[in-house]
Parts: sequence; C-alpha cells; structure tokens
Amino acid sequence: MAQRRGLLSAASGMVLAVLVPGQTVVAQQTIEALPEEARLEVVEEWGVNVLPEASPRWVYVLDVAFDNLIASRINIYDSDTGRFLGVVHSGFVPNLLLAPDKSELYVDETYYSRGTQGDRIDVLSIYDAKTLERTGEVILPEGRALLVSKLPAAALSPDGRFVLSYNMAPATSVSLVDIEARKYVGEIESPGCALVYPTGERSFSMLCPDGSLVDIAYDESGGAEVFQNEPFFDSETDPVFSHGAIDIAGGRGFFVSYDGVLYEIGIENGRTALADQWSILSAADAEEGWRPGGWQLLDYQPALRRVFVLMHKGPKWSHKWPGEEVWVLDPDRNERVARFALEEPAISLMLTRESEPVLLTLTDTGTLGVLDPATGEQKRRIEGTGLTPFLLHAYAE
Amino acid sequence: MGNENIFDRLFETASRRIAQRSSRRSLLARLGTVLVGAAVLPTLPVDRSGRFRKAHAQGFAEQAQTADDTQCNYWRYCAMDGYLCSCCNGGVTSCPPGSEPSPTSWIGSCLNPDDGQVYLIAYRDCCGKGVCGQCPCLSTEGEMPVYRPQLSNDIDWCFGARSMVYHCTGAGIVGKA
Repeated sequence: MAQRRGLLSAASGMVLAVLVPGQTVVAQQTIEALPEEARLEVVEEWGVNVLPEASPRWVYVLDVAFDNLIASRINIYDSDTGRFLGVVHSGFVPNLLLAPDKSELYVDETYYSRGTQGDRIDVLSIYDAKTLERTGEVILPEGRALLVSKLPAAALSPDGRFVLSYNMAPATSVSLVDIEARKYVGEIESPGCALVYPTGERSFSMLCPDGSLVDIAYDESGGAEVFQNEPFFDSETDPVFSHGAIDIAGGRGFFVSYDGVLYEIGIENGRTALADQWSILSAADAEEGWRPGGWQLLDYQPALRRVFVLMHKGPKWSHKWPGEEVWVLDPDRNERVARFALEEPAISLMLTRESEPVLLTLTDTGTLGVLDPATGEQKRRIEGTGLTPFLLHAYAE
Repeated sequence: MGNENIFDRLFETASRRIAQRSSRRSLLARLGTVLVGAAVLPTLPVDRSGRFRKAHAQGFAEQAQTADDTQCNYWRYCAMDGYLCSCCNGGVTSCPPGSEPSPTSWIGSCLNPDDGQVYLIAYRDCCGKGVCGQCPCLSTEGEMPVYRPQLSNDIDWCFGARSMVYHCTGAGIVGKA
C-alpha cells in the first residue's frame, strides 16, 4: 500500500483515492487535478464475475459467527475442487433457503437499524443465485424465532412458491411469505409447536412439546387447517433431535432420539403417522456409550435409501458433542450397514441431492470434509469455511 | 415434577390470554388446552431445569463452589447457558455497562454447598450489545430441543428487551426451591 496507487473507476473517471506514504489522510481529487504522472496510463476493463448455474456439488456453509452474532455469512464452495465461489453476508441467526429452480437463494434474517440496537428488522432477503446480488426482500412484520440457526427454522414449499418461517415471540406461529408475489401473507398459528417440516406442496408439520407432530395444511391466502396426532416419542425421557430429514417425494421422514432410537414417519397427503421405530444401538454399542450427537447430525439420501448419523461415545446429555463416526443405516431393513471413523469429529453432515451423492462433513472449526458415502474415504478437505459454521446446504440436482 | 407444573400453569394462563385477544380464536379454541407459548409476559420466569433438576444438580453440585462467580462451577450456574456477565464487568445480578437486563428469564434450582439449601435461580440475559465473549459456560445437561423451549439453550431469551441481541447471562436468587 506504500506505493503510489490509484483505484480508477473507468466508468466514471471522475474521482480517485490517493494513499500517500507516511500519511493517514485519504484525499479525494478529480483525476484532472492530479499531476500527469499520478494517472494510470492503461485503463483496464473491470467486470464482475457471475456464477454459472449452481452444481449440486456446491456447498453453502452457513457461519453463525458465534462471537459476532449480528454479522454472519454464507460461504460457497465447490466441493469437487475446494474452490471458494462467493459469499452472502447475513444478519442475526439467519436461515438459508435454496430455490428448487436454482434461480435464487433466500436468507431469513434479523437486523437492528443501529447494529446491536435500534429498530428490529426481520426480513427475508432475496438473492440471485448467479450474481449473488440482493434483488429484493420481504419484511416479516411479526418477526421470526431467534434461534441459533437450524435447518427446520425455515423452509420452502416444494414448488418454491412459499416460504415458511418459524416464529416465536415466545408464542409460536409460522410466517407465510409468497415468493412469487414478493409478499408477506400472514401468520399461521401453532398450538405451541416448533419448527417447520414441509410434508407436501401446501402442508407442513411441527414438533410439539408432548412428542407429537402437528400436521398443518395451508392455502395461498394463509388459511390453515390443523391436525393433531398422538405423541410418537417420549419428550420427557428421550427427545428426538430437531434436525431430522424429510423425503416428501418418498413419503417418509426420519428423526433420531438422544438415546439412539430412529423413528420413521410415513407421510401421505400432508398427514404424518409413525411408520417404524428401532434402536440403532446394539447392546454392545450402548455398552460402549455410543450416541447420536452434533448439530445437523442426520440426513436421509433417497437415491441411496440410507440414513446417515453422526455418532460419538459419551455420557447422557452429550447430545451436542461432535461425531467421531458416521453410521450408515438401512431404514428398509432396520440395520446398520456401515460405520466410518472420521479424520476429525464433525458437528454437521449432509448428502448432496443427486443420484451419485457425496457425503459432506463439517467440524466446529470450519473444516469441510468431502467423503465417499459408500466407503467413508475422505476425498477432499477444505479448511477455513467459517469462524463457527453450523449448517450445510446444497441445491438438488 | 413440581416446577413443570408451575410452568404449565403459567403457560395455561398465557394461553388463555392469547385466546382472549386472538383474532384466530376459533383455531385456538379447537386446539383446546394444548400448550401455547407465552405471549407478552415480561416477568414470566421460564423453567429451564424442569424435571432434570435433580440430575443436573447432582452432577453439578459435586464440583460447585461459592467463592468465585467468574468460574462455570460457581454454585448459582447449575443451569447456566451463555457467557458469564461476571466476566464481562457485570455481576451475578448486574449487567455490564451499556447492556440491558431482559425482563424474561429461565429458572434453575441450585444447591448452595455452604448451607445445603436449594435456591431458585433466575437466569437473566443482558441484551442490546453483541456477544461479550468472556467465560462461555455452555451446559447441555438436561438441555432439550427447541420444541421444549423452557429447557432449550438454543433460544435467544432476550424477549421483552429493547434489543434482542444477546450479550451475557447473570444468575439471581428468586427464592428457595
């Protein structure tokens, strides 16, 4: 920076910032006022790069930046090469949503007008997926739940038309946003249940304090019908992690409990029902202290028909400890088919949404692992994906 | 569990208040007595220890001390989640300069090893400044997913403060358990 240097805007050609060695003052002068030798002789064209259509191998790493929560970010990497592709800066405990047609991405986020103070602004920010430019927004007038970022805190309808944003004030509801109309539709009241799990084009479920799912069908004007179900797990003694996985097309969803019970939910016409449950721990596993744990700790890959879970050895209430291993489960035969020891313990995992997926793992220090889901072999390691990144996202194929 | 029942009663009260002024009364009426989250109840303490009080207290009390409130094992922190205000130039019952105590809190029941008594502790977040960053004490003992909010530490409990940006957490005695 000590060198004579000017950043010249070729388009305007009017203003030049000059950094003088030994001085901290930055002066602005018109180019014409500068001595001839201070002007750049060659004016190169400057452009702005644009991304191609997103690959299902691109991974969007959501960094909540725990020590500076009001300034989070979403870092984008190509998991095939490890290359950094871009960033979207975001606000307080955001959630990311990726449009099914790959045209846009949405950030459900909160700001204060003076950083940490001032007027609160809850907003769904709209970005072009290729330019990463902020192209629009929809204000959420009733706010949103301020949770440490979780996947099920917000969701898109499968067709991408509506955003469902979980709200807690602390009464719980779901804010409905019409993406097509760029409009907030209204609140869908919840009977004290939490988070949003889409189950169909215009339906979703929420997890309730009593261990049940409530099924909610909604229409384009925000009208809703609520259907309650019996509890399917014991929320007092062995709760399920909120990071489950729902395969709407396959009509099945999965949740795992702190003590390692895998629950399969059947989904039909927006209604849910317990379809199966089994312990993923053998007596020997339980004896050794194996437990599920982490943050985004479970995924189901429909093309493989396999559930992947992060597992660690630890005492009761160690449910946020990072996973030392990934266990691969066959939910059709209720058996474990593989277990992979990870090179570094991971808090989150996901399978890419394609016919030949890769397994992505994330450590709490921001190292992204790219693994073969059949063998567990780590094919790539990408460091520095965030300060405290928590969540992984990718577009479907 | 006693505390759960207290909590449930508080929430029921809240449910009734919501129902009374909700434009969607019919929906709430159909849902009947189902738990609904507390709306604007600025002084509602939220029980985050619940039925796990005993397990938590037992595990915590073994190593608890009463001398140093800048350590995670200070006796009042048996259900602590967050950064200690005591390390941020606040105290167990005071917020650091420029931050604001949240009017809401969650509740723990902690054993004081000096007198052998169990006290109700209200954990209050100090809000309106960014994360203090000093002395993180994040316990997951008894910690539940957010669909059981009173027991979850993934929630920003600055409800009712002018700004919900989280700074740190203190621990005041509100009674005997």
